Amino acid sequence: MNLLVLTKRVPATQEEELRIVGDGRAVDLSKVPFKVNDWDNYSVEEAVRTVEKTGGAVTAISVGDAESDEVLRRAIAMGAKDGFLIETEEVIHDPQARAALIYTFLKKEALPYDAIFTGVQSEDDQFASVGGILAAKLGLPYASMVIGIDAFEAGHVVVRRELEGGMQERIKVALPAVLSLQSGINEPRYVSIMGVRKASKVERKVFKATEYQEHVKRMIDVVKWVYPVKKGGAVMLGGELDTVCKNLLGILKEKGVYQ
Amino acid sequence: MSYALVVAEVRRGLFEERNLDSLGLSHLLGMETTLLMPDGAYTVGERVASTIIRVRTEETIFLNPLAMTQIVRKVIEAKGLPGAILFTSSSSGIELASYLAGALDLPLITDVSGFDAERGVFLKSYYSDKIFGEFKPKEGAFVLTVRSGSFKEHAVEQESAAAVEVLDGIIPPEGRSFVEYVEEEKGEIDITKADFLLSVGRGIGSKDEIPAYEELAGILRAVLSGSRPVIDKTWLPKPRQVGTSGKTVRPKVYLAMAISGAFQHIAGMKDSECIIAVNKDPEAPIFQYAHFGVICDANKLRDKMKDIVKKG
Repeated sequence: MNLLVLTKRVPATQEEELRIVGDGRAVDLSKVPFKVNDWDNYSVEEAVRTVEKTGGAVTAISVGDAESDEVLRRAIAMGAKDGFLIETEEVIHDPQARAALIYTFLKKEALPYDAIFTGVQSEDDQFASVGGILAAKLGLPYASMVIGIDAFEAGHVVVRRELEGGMQERIKVALPAVLSLQSGINEPRYVSIMGVRKASKVERKVFKATEYQEHVKRMIDVVKWVYPVKKGGAVMLGGELDTVCKNLLGILKEKGVYQ
Repeated sequence: MSYALVVAEVRRGLFEERNLDSLGLSHLLGMETTLLMPDGAYTVGERVASTIIRVRTEETIFLNPLAMTQIVRKVIEAKGLPGAILFTSSSSGIELASYLAGALDLPLITDVSGFDAERGVFLKSYYSDKIFGEFKPKEGAFVLTVRSGSFKEHAVEQESAAAVEVLDGIIPPEGRSFVEYVEEEKGEIDITKADFLLSVGRGIGSKDEIPAYEELAGILRAVLSGSRPVIDKTWLPKPRQVGTSGKTVRPKVYLAMAISGAFQHIAGMKDSECIIAVNKDPEAPIFQYAHFGVICDANKLRDKMKDIVKKG
């Protein structure tokens, strides 16, 4: 099996205070550290595990600025054979434009593949849409929220999709196909700094996004960035940690869950 | 007048409640609503839309993105392009919407939780609800997925019963087929039955921190649960997951430690009687839903709590 896996470098905003600047025109990410998108980490792992069983090779593809080379090196350290960067300085918010760029790239470069893996979503924009749009443009079957691959055989794959409330559905998908994988599908291997350094000896190819604009058109625009509407619900407990804990225990007693 | 096509999510014979959010937003768009659903014994109010199209096909085919594209193309052939096509923001809703938007080459905005009719902009979450973007689709038809709980109060009844139409001739797609439903394995403990949940998030740092939380849960007589990242990283087993893809819980007290509060998590615990959130990030969305909040390192608070309780 030859697998293409999309991987993206995203801001790690989990514990960062985010500021909107320029009267809503942008979100300041200048002080935020970047990392591989969590979902893509699972996808790369799953792709590598798959070819370890079936043979073939994994090619990691990333759309982003030159810094995105970092996630390609990481993918190679995990077991991908190649890393291709579709380089652009522009942050593409519209999933249609992003998918169209990747579509044009795949068509022009005529890369062979049996399946394309993506993460279900990226942590930053959470559109969860690039895989589906890309599949439709390529005229291929699609499945998202894939939480388990039960069989990977010539011509088809049997996967489990995660639904709501602890339910899953098992489906059969003809290959080639696009699959968007859910976090938790596996336990990604540990990647050491040494591993990534070693991976940088493997040549990564850089393609200019400007060469692949044929089908790209922007269909949605960000008018403005805004903070969430404050509901102002929580009573904040302040003071020394000791006092805070005692107050918390008081609340637990009052609610009748602790004596 | 252009119409809005609301694609119903039905699952195992049930018309999902979150469809009301799609119907509510459709109403706010000011378009006539056409509800698209499979033909079957679903309980649906006859005044929820102006028109109901019942598709003569099985539910699992209706929810197949390849089939949905075929179905919507047939609707367009008969009625013209809708002004908007709305799906639920769920596992299947987003899957269907993205595939359809790709096939029909239409603008797509997912996880829509707000709408400003005057400016024609849709609110969509970024960075796990820390920021929202106001998005505007280009002129013409567009596709949306609608966040559960966002618009249901706008789902008003129509003046008269919907006109019912039937759509036939759907060919089951070859590229993808349904095999069976799989229930997740049951855990040794049912977190939905607990009065007091101590729930941990990825902010605790590592799996090594779990035993100390187990100990605290033990002395407080709470049951330990976790958010999605904690389960994904196998710090806690899957039956302990709170959130849309895990369990929906309503304990007397929900003590959330180092959980920032992604929407999928909030949806699984927001109806708890009392929510206490501990997080070092004052901007963590969970504080918006909590009754009590503490801004501090959860691990430090945990250790202090243990000391105090042990001393009695």
